Amino acid sequence: MQRLLHSSAPLWASLDKAMLGKLRKKTGYTFSNCKKALEVCGNDIAKAEEWLHEQAKALGWAKANKLEGRATAQGLVGVASDSSCVAMVEVNCETDFVARNKTFRSLVERVAAACLNHGKTLPQDNLTKSFLSADQLKTVPCGKEGGPLADHVALAIGSVGENLSLRRCALLQAPPRSAVHLSGYTHPAENSLGVGPVLCGRYGALVAFKATLDSAPKTQILGRQLCQHIVGMCPERIGDPEKDSPNPDTDSESVLIFQEFLLDVNQTVGNVLEEHDASILDFVRFECGEAC
Amino acid sequence: MATLNIIRACSVPVFRHSLKKLLIGREPFILSHTGANTLCKRASPTVTFQRFYAVATEKKVFQRDKPHCNVGTIGHVDHGKTTLTAAITKVLSDKELAKAKAYADIDNAPEEKARGITINVAHIEYSTDSRHYGHTDCPGHADYIKNMITGTSQMDGAILVVAATDGAMPQTREHLLLAKQIGINHMVVFINKVDAADQEMVELVEMEIRELLTEMGYDGDNLPIVKGSALCALEGKNPEIGSEAVMKLLEAVDTSIPTPIRELDKPFMMPVEGVYSIPGRGTVVTGRLERGTLKKGQDAEFVGHNKVIKSTVTGVEMFHQILEEAHAGDQVGALVRGVKREDVKRGMILCKPGTLKFVDNVEGQVYVLTKEEGGRSRPFMSFAQMQMFSKTWDMPIRVQIPDKEMIMPGEDARLQIQLFKPMVLEQGQRFTIRDGSTTLGTGVITKVLPKLSEVERSLLTEGKKAREKYLASQKEKQEKKK
Ligand SMILES: Nc1nc2c(ncn2[C@@H]2O[C@H](COP(=O)(O)OP(=O)(O)OP(=O)(O)O)[C@@H](O)[C@H]2O)c(=O)[nH]1
Ligand SMILES: [Mg+2]
Repeated sequence: MQRLLHSSAPLWASLDKAMLGKLRKKTGYTFSNCKKALEVCGNDIAKAEEWLHEQAKALGWAKANKLEGRATAQGLVGVASDSSCVAMVEVNCETDFVARNKTFRSLVERVAAACLNHGKTLPQDNLTKSFLSADQLKTVPCGKEGGPLADHVALAIGSVGENLSLRRCALLQAPPRSAVHLSGYTHPAENSLGVGPVLCGRYGALVAFKATLDSAPKTQILGRQLCQHIVGMCPERIGDPEKDSPNPDTDSESVLIFQEFLLDVNQTVGNVLEEHDASILDFVRFECGEAC
Repeated sequence: MATLNIIRACSVPVFRHSLKKLLIGREPFILSHTGANTLCKRASPTVTFQRFYAVATEKKVFQRDKPHCNVGTIGHVDHGKTTLTAAITKVLSDKELAKAKAYADIDNAPEEKARGITINVAHIEYSTDSRHYGHTDCPGHADYIKNMITGTSQMDGAILVVAATDGAMPQTREHLLLAKQIGINHMVVFINKVDAADQEMVELVEMEIRELLTEMGYDGDNLPIVKGSALCALEGKNPEIGSEAVMKLLEAVDTSIPTPIRELDKPFMMPVEGVYSIPGRGTVVTGRLERGTLKKGQDAEFVGHNKVIKSTVTGVEMFHQILEEAHAGDQVGALVRGVKREDVKRGMILCKPGTLKFVDNVEGQVYVLTKEEGGRSRPFMSFAQMQMFSKTWDMPIRVQIPDKEMIMPGEDARLQIQLFKPMVLEQGQRFTIRDGSTTLGTGVITKVLPKLSEVERSLLTEGKKAREKYLASQKEKQEKKK
């Protein structure tokens, strides 16, 4: 076999093939990178592994620069929630293959969790809705692991080999112990890693609503169903029964309260809310890759 | 509408018209023994001409007398799928077995619409000494899935491309998993970019790939793995890792991906389009013969609508002529014995006895059309009732989505489908799902499930309440058992 582009062939010849195999298996970094690591660290496999992890950040940056120009239209919407705050983020990648891989998914989960934590540090006297831009997102600190989110993105770029970008974030916060309930949802509703309370999907919705249901689980179910409806039916605004009137063409109805309820077409969302003595205060819907 | 047209493409109006005229018009259905013989002789040249004509219009470099096989490249982003595709055409064009395609032509394949769905896919054709190939290269996963489901070109085998510099990457794995699910059982591996890697590295990549293949349910120990450089082949450099490696790869493809059985060589099968009663003669069914050959004297049965009816073919004809033998692809009329016009219905399948079964419970993979593709803007929910179209039949169905709460337009998903009445459905059969006049989705059958029980069948048409009650009672029963 020809060794064309290979300048350091003599050095390599002395390297142990088994060692390369071992390092690759252990770290999952590409063969080229593993080989370089062994060369740099004089065949010390422990050092090489350390070196790889250290370099990954730098390599990530290098790759990020090279890949910067590529469009990133695919990705995931992640939702993290607790009782007083819900956060929804969109992180993009280039192909839907990467959108489905674990490294990427765990990045999205970290980003959503970090945004939730960030949201909880903000003052919250009323129900508030806020958005973080792509640039703001980069500097959000990432909980346990530390460092800004931008570092974590760079690391992931190094490992998946595609350009990735933080796109946007929406936060809904409710004052503690208020009557306002928050709910978040993604479609497909997957939590493949089973790590923490973060959901990931191609669509996501957050909703803030008031309801007087007799049990917490029932309230949760209602919140979830409302979110699912918002994802599925894509309403433009909540609507006011006093001021608005239903669209004669029910299929193109864009006012939430007049839409047919996704889970029971015999009722409108307005009917469902009435039945539960509930009202929707605010909502946000993300669709991965949509113009915004 | 486009969908419907494709499903029923077999009912080409001209054919239909002439058949009707032939079958129920004033012209008698000639079937006397002597007449049949002479007519057969007269009829055959027409038919031969027809087939000859089809061959004559093909492009010259491709010899259609070679067996045909569909393949495609799969693998991780940037590992060289498109470069390899271009390289194959380049190497074969030197032997006048293909038209060379530039990388850019393949990568910027125009969007095509299959059943109203937009897919980015490049179709390339080439020949080796022994076979003719259709080759697809998709730019992204969504295109790959759509292409598989809508079936513009199903792959008989795939070429997995892995860069020696990287090894198996996450998407190598995902592609393999998908291929296995969709039923691509034959795989040939090309370890690419060996110009930028060492011998040792290449060996390690090979080991790793074999392991991965085995894990994914392929015969990892024995599958052919060829090493080379697509780029060198494309640029005409270093023939030993360039063009020679590509030739080696093609040899491996030639020998290890079996030629699919030709439709003509399968047991005969004809979806019934029309049923006519010819006074003094009997019942004639018309349709396009999809598989095998149909001859006078063959035993046959009609399957579908929960019925199997035995019969014998007593005459076959095409255009105004009686035929000795109709071949797959022919639009024919078949005279059948012992069946009344009202026994047979459009949508039943005329086939060799015992070769096809009706089923009422299947699993499929569907792609749900977006609004722009003619679908709906709202999602698809479990327990929805709709109409399934396949071959010449349509039937109300109820669907369940096992893996998700709903399917949004533009998504694909696994679907469990229950038919109101059992019809002929086989693994790999294509179908569409419609609601009123809107096509909601299109799919392929991946599995036939056990027949529905009486209770399950009766629940099909029941509402949510009855279904929940039944499920609750089942659950209770199970708990009691525990
Ligand atoms: N050194 C080297 N580079 C190669 C070889 N084959 C392909 N490449 C390069 O690898 C890059 C990606 O090749 P493509 O053919 O576009 O890869 P692909 O798998 O089609 O990529 P996607 O369609 O984006 O998934 C290009 O820059 C090619 O020039 C090879 O044999 N050796
Ligand atoms: Mg490509």
